[in-house]
Amino acid sequence: MEVRLALTHPLSLDVAFAVHGFTVLLGTSGAGKTTLLRAIAGLVPAATGPFAHLRVEDRPVGYLPQHIALFPHLRAWENAAFPLPRSIDRRARALELLDRFAIAALADRFPRELSGGEQQRVGLARALARNPELLLLDEPTSALDVASRDRVFADVIARVRASGVPALAASHDPWLAQQADHVAVLAAGRIAQEGPPGEVFARPRNLAVARLVDFRNLFPGRVVAIAEPWATIDSAAGPLQAPAHDWLTTGQDVMAGIRPEEVIVVRPDRPLGLAVQDNRIAGTLATLHQAGLHVHGGFVAAAAPAFTLELLLPRFVQDRLNLTAGQSLEVTLKRRYLHLMQREPAAPEQR
Amino acid sequence: MIPDALIQAWPAFRLSLELATAASGFVVLLGVPLAWLLATRRFPGRRALEAACLLPLALPPTVLGYYLLLLLGSSGPLARATGLQWAFSFPGLVVGAVLFSLPLSLSTFREVFLRLDPDLLDTARTLGARPLARFRRVVLPLAWPGLLSGAVLAFAHTLGEFGVVLMIGGSIPGRTQVASIYLYDLVQALDFGAAGVVAGTLLAVAFVTVFAMRILEERWRSASPSRTR
Repeated sequence: MEVRLALTHPLSLDVAFAVHGFTVLLGTSGAGKTTLLRAIAGLVPAATGPFAHLRVEDRPVGYLPQHIALFPHLRAWENAAFPLPRSIDRRARALELLDRFAIAALADRFPRELSGGEQQRVGLARALARNPELLLLDEPTSALDVASRDRVFADVIARVRASGVPALAASHDPWLAQQADHVAVLAAGRIAQEGPPGEVFARPRNLAVARLVDFRNLFPGRVVAIAEPWATIDSAAGPLQAPAHDWLTTGQDVMAGIRPEEVIVVRPDRPLGLAVQDNRIAGTLATLHQAGLHVHGGFVAAAAPAFTLELLLPRFVQDRLNLTAGQSLEVTLKRRYLHLMQREPAAPEQR
Repeated sequence: MIPDALIQAWPAFRLSLELATAASGFVVLLGVPLAWLLATRRFPGRRALEAACLLPLALPPTVLGYYLLLLLGSSGPLARATGLQWAFSFPGLVVGAVLFSLPLSLSTFREVFLRLDPDLLDTARTLGARPLARFRRVVLPLAWPGLLSGAVLAFAHTLGEFGVVLMIGGSIPGRTQVASIYLYDLVQALDFGAAGVVAGTLLAVAFVTVFAMRILEERWRSASPSRTR
């Protein structure tokens, strides 16, 4: 399903993207994700959009707002049955809908007697009651505990997929985007990039997307040589190699990015394999602190104090290396994982 | 054993109860749609309409009564247009009581509607419920204790009304002499014994209505928790 929609009020949006399977609309808070979902549902007036010719009440969408909005005076099954006509056996149909989300046993509870995750499942059952052509989910992981989110919501996604109804979930949660079949990134009122999550997370098209998908190490460089499949850039920390792109030209200013968990600490006790010989940078470990089971490090290059990198090491690496703040350190940026982006922000979507 | 004073006061009490019932009924019919309009729609003149509805709060009851007398009297526009003479009659009392109680109840109704979660109404809309269905299936079940509390407020306020009723109705026994005015007439006649019985009864009735109002209000508040956004 194709979504094309333009808005000027309450904010400027002009988007075109595909929804198939479980699609995540990824964007920072305030990017207009909620407004976009509400416009598709018709709650925000828009002249365009997939169902623009229909009244809100007649649009074949199932809308689940961020706070779920179950009717507090109705039991779970009555909530699920809300949109059903009186001519059918509403309770039987509602139970069948609740059963799709494994909560038929809670049918007679009121919303206040349900946990956030259970309320969400009732909301989903209700949203599917009219057999919509599209499900709209606003920040579906925000109602869940982070501890149980992965397990609980992966199951919800599987059940939504099983319903066969394409879903569009607005979220700022990279975890959710990684579970999706398709990701569209909303930035500055446009779709900055769309594609399978593996593609978007590995090769963000520009800085806005890179930041959303956790490329926390971003630094400028200039292309000095291209020898397919690699390009060499000159950075503050010296020459670095990265995969070439077809848009690259020698002399071009680019941004390079690498994820903190993909910065590798060189182990002095072990000879380096050939693969990590390249992109070595010497410097100091300026900061070090524990974050749960990981260790966060701040690395400063010896050649350029302005060139800093964030490191994220699993605890078994720290157990072996016994790093301390202030010590000298060498890191390598595996060239396969160093990603080059165009310098100008928000390159237009190529379709 | 019912005291004689109370038996003699019965016509005045009955009139008061009839007036309060009729007035609170019309306040609901008029005030609920008006409050819904004021709470949910943006239209030119909304503030002016709101101010006009709240005006009786700031007016001495005698001023309101005076204008109503001009409006409803034998040579007023109502009489000339329809031949109806509502001054010094029960319908005139109802008009005065409705206008005088509307601002208080309207504020209650409006607050009830403003506290409804707009997400609930939006979601109901996406689920196919048209405006009347949304009102019947979502708004009323959540808001009825609050709305009833506003109606009881109008009832209590009308029972306690004096100035407007005196201006527009005079004090015609059996026709416009309500309990509060009957009490005033008893005191004027220095009949303090009977006045005490009437005053005590009014006090008791007022306490019961205000108490009922508080219970309804609490019930409504617990049913519609204040929004977190």
